[in-house]
Parts: sequence; structure tokens; C-alpha cells
Amino acid sequence: MENVMTFLPGILSGLQMTLGVFFITIIGSIPLGILASLAMKSPYFTVRWLVNGYIWIMRGTPLLLQLIFIYYGLAMVGLPFSRFESAAFAFIINYAAYLAEIFRGGLQSVPQGQFDAAKVLGLSKTQTFFKVVLPQVIKIVVPSFGNEVVNLVKDTSLIYVIGLGDILRAGSIAAARDVTLVPYLIVGVLYLLMTAVVTIILRASEKRLNVWR
Amino acid sequence: MISKQKKIIVNSLVALAFFALLALTLVTVLKPSNGKVVARDDKWSEIKAKKSITIGLDDTFVPMGFRDSSGKIVGFDVDLAEKVFSNMGIKVNWQPIDWSMKETELNTGNIDALWNGYTKTPERAKQVAFSSTYHRAQLALVVKKSSGVHDFAEMAGKVLGVQTGSSGETALNNEPNVLKRYIAGQKAVGYDTFDKAFTDLNANRITGLLVDEDYARYYIKQQANPNDYAVLTGNFAISDDVVAFRKGDKGLQKAVNQQLAKLEKSGYLAELEKRWFGQSSQDLK
Repeated sequence: MENVMTFLPGILSGLQMTLGVFFITIIGSIPLGILASLAMKSPYFTVRWLVNGYIWIMRGTPLLLQLIFIYYGLAMVGLPFSRFESAAFAFIINYAAYLAEIFRGGLQSVPQGQFDAAKVLGLSKTQTFFKVVLPQVIKIVVPSFGNEVVNLVKDTSLIYVIGLGDILRAGSIAAARDVTLVPYLIVGVLYLLMTAVVTIILRASEKRLNVWR
Repeated sequence: MISKQKKIIVNSLVALAFFALLALTLVTVLKPSNGKVVARDDKWSEIKAKKSITIGLDDTFVPMGFRDSSGKIVGFDVDLAEKVFSNMGIKVNWQPIDWSMKETELNTGNIDALWNGYTKTPERAKQVAFSSTYHRAQLALVVKKSSGVHDFAEMAGKVLGVQTGSSGETALNNEPNVLKRYIAGQKAVGYDTFDKAFTDLNANRITGLLVDEDYARYYIKQQANPNDYAVLTGNFAISDDVVAFRKGDKGLQKAVNQQLAKLEKSGYLAELEKRWFGQSSQDLK
């Protein structure tokens, strides 16, 4: 037990970084994902192609590679971002691409009849989107959105490649120093705690949204 | 409905904007001076004026540079680098990096030097400039005494572990007659860190582990029964630990070399090695 206590301060120092990347990605990728999902339904084929190309690149290459290109690659062509900025940027554009596909699925499940009805009732396009479509889309996408959020909790560990210290990195340092697997065990428990919190919040919001239905 | 005319206008505008952006990106990327400016400049006068230097290290790399349980960066290289730069009135900022990206970090200017058990090799000489050698290390084979292995030849048909990308792996492949020809399948098992290889050694999944002698002694000291292990040295070439700089940083290189020579003469270097490794490497030449 005292063993665990000696590892805890070091590992907890990485928690701030893990949570920082997590929250900034959630905040940044949701609006970008909604925009991209709307752009995929655009009447202009150039817009659709560009967005589809962006999603193809983001989903078709490992996030680890994207991190390397954004941090080291952009610095080589004279666009140096700080380590944290690069991590935030890479995670936001990557997760926005996945979320865009989820939101697109949600949008498609709203029947065409509702758009027609809204038009007949004289609702503007903005009103139709925010008052009619969005509330239904949110309800539909919560479970698959939750999947991505849980994935994000664990994906934050990839930032080690640009020299940022998250909890998994802090765990490896302690494991290398004291030649024991205990730090990894602590890190595993911390990830479980974080995903448990995320799951509980998502379940609760799903219940609230059911009231609406 | 959107008119056909409007569709054409918007589509061509979007396409135009996209190709303009693409062209701009290509021009920036292909402009020959970009990115290499950092590598050519001598940053020494800037470092002296700011009185601070950023050094990259892998903070899992015991006992050269790592974090103690309070999170402070310590180690043999850390002590030595801080002594060298404090003699010149310069403060060291330690920047943890991913070791596989070390030369990129250096050449993009994120860090000014690499000082973390960095071994001199011909491949690395093409990318970075070296300081003079401040520490020498010999590769050692760590086995359990119960395995009955007493020299390299007795590894015949047995499984060997190495750290991927380490100087041990390079030496194993470059000098195949020393050890590689004996081991099972003429191929070693690769681990990303030594502690994982040690765990496998304890589980008897590998018989031997090829590692720098310094690290071998450090890890054995951490085990519950240090007397269960034997450290065997063979005929591998001795590796030289150096500091790496950008090729352009001649001023920095010269200043560090002068300080290292001074510390070697005063006996500080040998004393520091005894403190961290239990023995000095200065007579290994």
C-alpha cells in the first residue's frame, strides 16, 4: 500500500495534461463536427468533396502520425506551434471527423417529411435546424457519441510522441525507475475511473433526453 | 431550389480557394531556405545572452536522466550537464521528448542539445554534431545464474532480449560474430523499455538480455534478489557517450568541450561516475 502512495504524486501530475487534452478536444470537436456533417449535405459538390477528403484523411491515417506531422512537420515548414497547441489541434480535427460521421447518421434519420412540414409551417432554415432537427439528432447520436468520448479518454495517451507527459507516460517513468508493474496498475485504475465518470454522465443525459421523447 | 448559375459560381469559387491554398502550401514547403535556417544558425550567442539552454532527454532513461518519485529530473547526465552549464552561468531547462523523435526535435530547434546516454554512431554523425566523449560504456549480457550460461557461446539456441533502437541492438546486428550467431533463430526479441525485458527475464521467457553494463547494474540493484543475476561482458566494441548539437552550433559545441575537458582533469567526472555507476569508465579506451 505504501508502494502505491509513492507512485501516486508522480502519476497524478500527468492527470492535468490528460484532462486538459480531453476537455479541449470535446469543446473544439463538437461544433467542428456539426459543421462538417452539415457541409457533407451541401448542395455544392466542391464543398462535399473537400469535406469528404478531410474526413478520409483524418479517419484513414493513425492519430499518432497526425500528431507527428502537425508538431514536427509544420515546424519544418516554418509554422512552429507549441506542444500543447499541436496536440489540441490534432485531436480536435481528428475527433471532429469521426463526430461528423456520427452526426451525419443522426441527420439522415430525420425523415424528409419533417423538413417539408417545417417549410409548410413557414419556419426558416435556421429555425428548422435548431428547433426541429437538432433536438432529435442529439437524442439519436448520444450512444455512438459516448463511444467516441470513451475512446478519447484513452487516446490522450498518444501525446507522449510530442513530448507531453500524461498519466501513462508518468506511469512508464515510475515503472522504468523502480522496475515494477504497480504504476501501470494505478494508471489502469485511473483510466477506469475516468471512463466510469464519462459513462455515468452520458447515461444521465440519455435519461433526460428520453423525457423529451 | 438553388439556381444552376449560382451552383456554378459557388463551386468554382470553392475550387479556386482550395487550389490557391494548395499552391500556397506547396510554395511554403518547397521554399529551400525554410526549416534549414534554424539548423545553419549558431545559437550560442543567443543562449549566452538568455542565460538558459533547453536540453532534450527521455525521462524514463535510468540512471542517465529520469524522474525521482517526487517528479524531479535527476541522473548522471543531469548532474554533469548542470555542472557544465552552471560553470558558464547558464540555466538548464530539461525538456522531456520521445526518444525516437530526438534528432527531429534537435533540428527543428525545439531543443538545443541532446544529453541522455547518447552514443556516437556513424549514422548519427550525418545528422548532428558530437561533443567529446564523456563516458564509455560496455555492452553486457544479463542472465540468471540458474540458467547455467557463463559466456556468450553458451547462449547457443537460447532466446535473447534487447531494447528496440538501442545501441545494444545496433551492435548485435553490426557485429554478428560476437553473439548473434549463437542465439535462437539469429534474432533477438525487441522491447520498448528495459524494465519490460527484465520482467520477461524473471519470467524465464528470455534467457539473456543485452544491455549497457551501467543500466544492467542499476536494474539488478532494483531486484528483490540481486545475487540471482550474472553480468557477462564479451567482445563488443566499447560505445562512446556524447552530447549531440545541431551541426551549426559550433560555439556551443566548443564551450561544452572545454568544460568537459576541465571536469575530466579535475577528477569530477570520474567521481560522478563512481557515484552513479559504482565504477569509473575513464580508463576504458
